[in-house]
Amino acid sequence: MVQRLLLKRPLSAHIHRLVLLLLLAVNIYPLLWMILNSLKTEQELSMNPFGVARKPMWSNYIEAWKVAKLGPYLVNSITVTLASVVLTLLVGALAAFFLSRFEFKSKGFLLVYFTFGMLIPIHATLVPLFIEMRTFNLLDNRLTLLFPYTAFNLPITIFILAGFMNAFPKEVEEAGIVDGCSVMGVFGRLIIPMLTPALATAFIINFLNNWNEFSFALVLISDSALKTLPLGLANFAGQYNRSYTLQMAGLTIVLVPTLLFYLSVQKYLTAGMTAGAVKG
Amino acid sequence: MEILLRRKWIIAAGLLPALLIYTLFSVYPILSSIYFSLFKWDGFSPKQWHGLQNYVNLIGDGVFWQSIRNNLYFVLFSVLGEIPLGLYLAIMLNGKLFRRDGIFRTVFFMPVVISTIVVSLIWNMFYNYQFGLVNTALRAFGLDHWAQNWLGNPKLAIFVLCIVVVWQYTGLYMVIFLAALQNVPSEVLEAAELDGAVGFKRTWNIVVPIIADTIFASVVLCISGALRAFDLIFIMTNGGPNHSTEVGATYMFAQTFNSMKYGYGSAISTAIIIISFGLIMISQFMMRSLKR
Repeated sequence: MVQRLLLKRPLSAHIHRLVLLLLLAVNIYPLLWMILNSLKTEQELSMNPFGVARKPMWSNYIEAWKVAKLGPYLVNSITVTLASVVLTLLVGALAAFFLSRFEFKSKGFLLVYFTFGMLIPIHATLVPLFIEMRTFNLLDNRLTLLFPYTAFNLPITIFILAGFMNAFPKEVEEAGIVDGCSVMGVFGRLIIPMLTPALATAFIINFLNNWNEFSFALVLISDSALKTLPLGLANFAGQYNRSYTLQMAGLTIVLVPTLLFYLSVQKYLTAGMTAGAVKG
Repeated sequence: MEILLRRKWIIAAGLLPALLIYTLFSVYPILSSIYFSLFKWDGFSPKQWHGLQNYVNLIGDGVFWQSIRNNLYFVLFSVLGEIPLGLYLAIMLNGKLFRRDGIFRTVFFMPVVISTIVVSLIWNMFYNYQFGLVNTALRAFGLDHWAQNWLGNPKLAIFVLCIVVVWQYTGLYMVIFLAALQNVPSEVLEAAELDGAVGFKRTWNIVVPIIADTIFASVVLCISGALRAFDLIFIMTNGGPNHSTEVGATYMFAQTFNSMKYGYGSAISTAIIIISFGLIMISQFMMRSLKR
């Protein structure tokens, strides 16, 4: 059977398969290389950068965790990320509901206005945002990152949620009214439950964006007790730029949970990216 | 719904939180950046009116033009690398040959979800002079004289960075194109195969016009993404050596936060915005005329 398949396929199919397998390796290998090397001593790394460590140095991980202060950064990252995601989804779903299910004069303008946000070059806002936050006395605060993270993720969130809601039949609201629901009742009791798949996607996209965000944190946070993981990692790499195996261990500690999260949610992620992207 | 529609204030109240946060922390900074660019300012003492002098200085600033050129390299590599490669992968993974192999999709999208900081640090080590994979491989093949400090070579560094960008973001466009392909009625693709268009080239020729709109949207996304490049360069080279990998965002950052020239930094920001939207408009125009 296998043989027959192999024979039936034209040569080009095999070439394509080869190319794809090669690209697969290109995607995986840098990560694997780092993880394997994170278990070596500094000396073994320079002698033998390929291959598996002769004697795995698990102590690299313990030391990296301590030296890089990954614990506190992890807590900060989780807090900021989750708070921003929840705020974005709440505010975004509400806005998307009115933009998608109601007709009013400024609707067209508002849709364009929000879409514009996806094209704003983030870094052009760093300086003014820094000054704005300083004016509000919001620099180096637990709440600092909440606002820019929410602001910059609202456009894509509204886009995904409104796009999904557009497909709901008109009868949803009509049924709600007949049952005596208020507008907010329709939103909370009828729309939100139907919106769950899109909310899941928006959640994941928001989560990854905030979890990985670097430049806002770099500019707006200088108190090391409030730093997030990407910022902490960058500092760690800068300070211990001679100890590569420690760096690799630290990076692996951060990389592996992100990958596990991705693998467990990737089905929703790709489904929703597409919902948002196709209409763009 | 008619009864509800009359209560306009409910609509306004529902939209207000999103509108407020988005305007205050995303749109307003852009506008104030334009305003700040008209001053000479160190960020702390009172602002001094500077008129358009910052822009005059900008036009005569060689490093600024170098950074814009590097930005254009990023745009070029991204648009010509990520989009065709992403499209190729999407067509392959959508075809009968690979449809059932979920692992390809999972792995190709993986770099997109990894933090750019992690990606930058990994690739920094990859390009490391001593133990980096690139040099070790070259030495293994006896090409010792090719082994070098890749990120320290002013002629090569920017292209070395471009490779990392393509590595990181190709998967994003693959997923976008895969989604678009799923909306193409399968009869169309099957009919094409029946006609004998089994070959990749034929499929390509049939698929590209069908999802042209998605490709156009992706080009815009890709341009604005490439112009946003900052984290990667900040970590890997910080614009060096000797500004050879400087891009608009890193130059703006250095001028503002290291040299304390807030007005000048804002002028660079404004220039980035203008160039960004200019490029998007040009690409839109080009693609529209291409469609005809």
